[in-house]
Amino acid sequence: MIRRAGIALAITLFGLMFAGLVLHHVERRTLPPLGKRYVELVPQELGAANVVTGILLTYRGFDTLGEVAVLFMVAAGVGLVLDKRGRRNEGQRRGTRSPPRQASEIVRTGAQILLPLLAIFAAYIIMHGHLSAGGGFQGGAVLASGLVLSLFADPQQRLDQRFLSRTESAAGVLFVLVGVAGLLFAGGFLDSRVLPLGQFGAFFSAGSIPVLSVLLGIKVGCELSVIIDRFRT
Amino acid sequence: MLELIGSLVILVGAAFNFSAGLGMLRMPDAYTRMQAGTKASTLGNALVLMGIACLHPEWTLKLLLVIYFVLMTNPISSHALARAAYRSQVPMTPQATVDALRDAREQSRGEA
Repeated sequence: MIRRAGIALAITLFGLMFAGLVLHHVERRTLPPLGKRYVELVPQELGAANVVTGILLTYRGFDTLGEVAVLFMVAAGVGLVLDKRGRRNEGQRRGTRSPPRQASEIVRTGAQILLPLLAIFAAYIIMHGHLSAGGGFQGGAVLASGLVLSLFADPQQRLDQRFLSRTESAAGVLFVLVGVAGLLFAGGFLDSRVLPLGQFGAFFSAGSIPVLSVLLGIKVGCELSVIIDRFRT
Repeated sequence: MLELIGSLVILVGAAFNFSAGLGMLRMPDAYTRMQAGTKASTLGNALVLMGIACLHPEWTLKLLLVIYFVLMTNPISSHALARAAYRSQVPMTPQATVDALRDAREQSRGEA
């Protein structure tokens, strides 16, 4: 009875919340001043068709670097916590655990078909970050989801953690180096105009934004892969 | 005209997706919930995407790719979930009368 009343109360509160959102929502006809400035500046100064990526990788490039650093710390923290626990319980577990099963044929075949698709999709998202919605973070997440699928299909496979962490570090170092190049040869840290802007909307355009996007994609993909791998027992 | 057809197809798809949600809430055990969630939502999503293709014919190829992806992933993932549930002996609803997989296993064991 009390539980039901609680549920009813929760639903009513949610209803009120969403009603407030819906009733007070006013559609903006114009952009706020800052947004307007960005929308004008990004295609003009940076030559990027996707304004969001232009902001993320150039004007707010330093923030993006910080976000990647946060992700790196998450990976390190997960490694620290899970590694210890795994080591302690390993002796007890080994005796009771039944031999690992193979994934079913449907999953294995499905993974064979889907993995190339996922890889292409991830590469597309990463490389077209300056042209359409997407970019390094999103593409890296898709990459890591492909890894989850391949782990489902073959739970026995071992990931080369060292290779992953080295690739990730290399991508991070290159990212910072491109940033420093911006400091030396253009307007400031992570300024994307160190490379020629090219023709607006073309695949090779928008200065170093695609390069940064690819590095970010590799870095995020590797980091998430390491995190996922740590969660396996 | 095409717009009307597209809207109707989207509506039918939404109805299927709604029935999937209803099934998730109302079905008695994991397996029947899985069945409701998979079948109805696969068809529902495909119909919604086809409806969008009617409204925006220029997106048809991309939408077909998305439909292909849904058709590939949705059944496989629910197959994996159902298999994991069966293997870890998640109980069936008491109303269930047939366990064809168990029967087939016992039969093959009897023959061997």
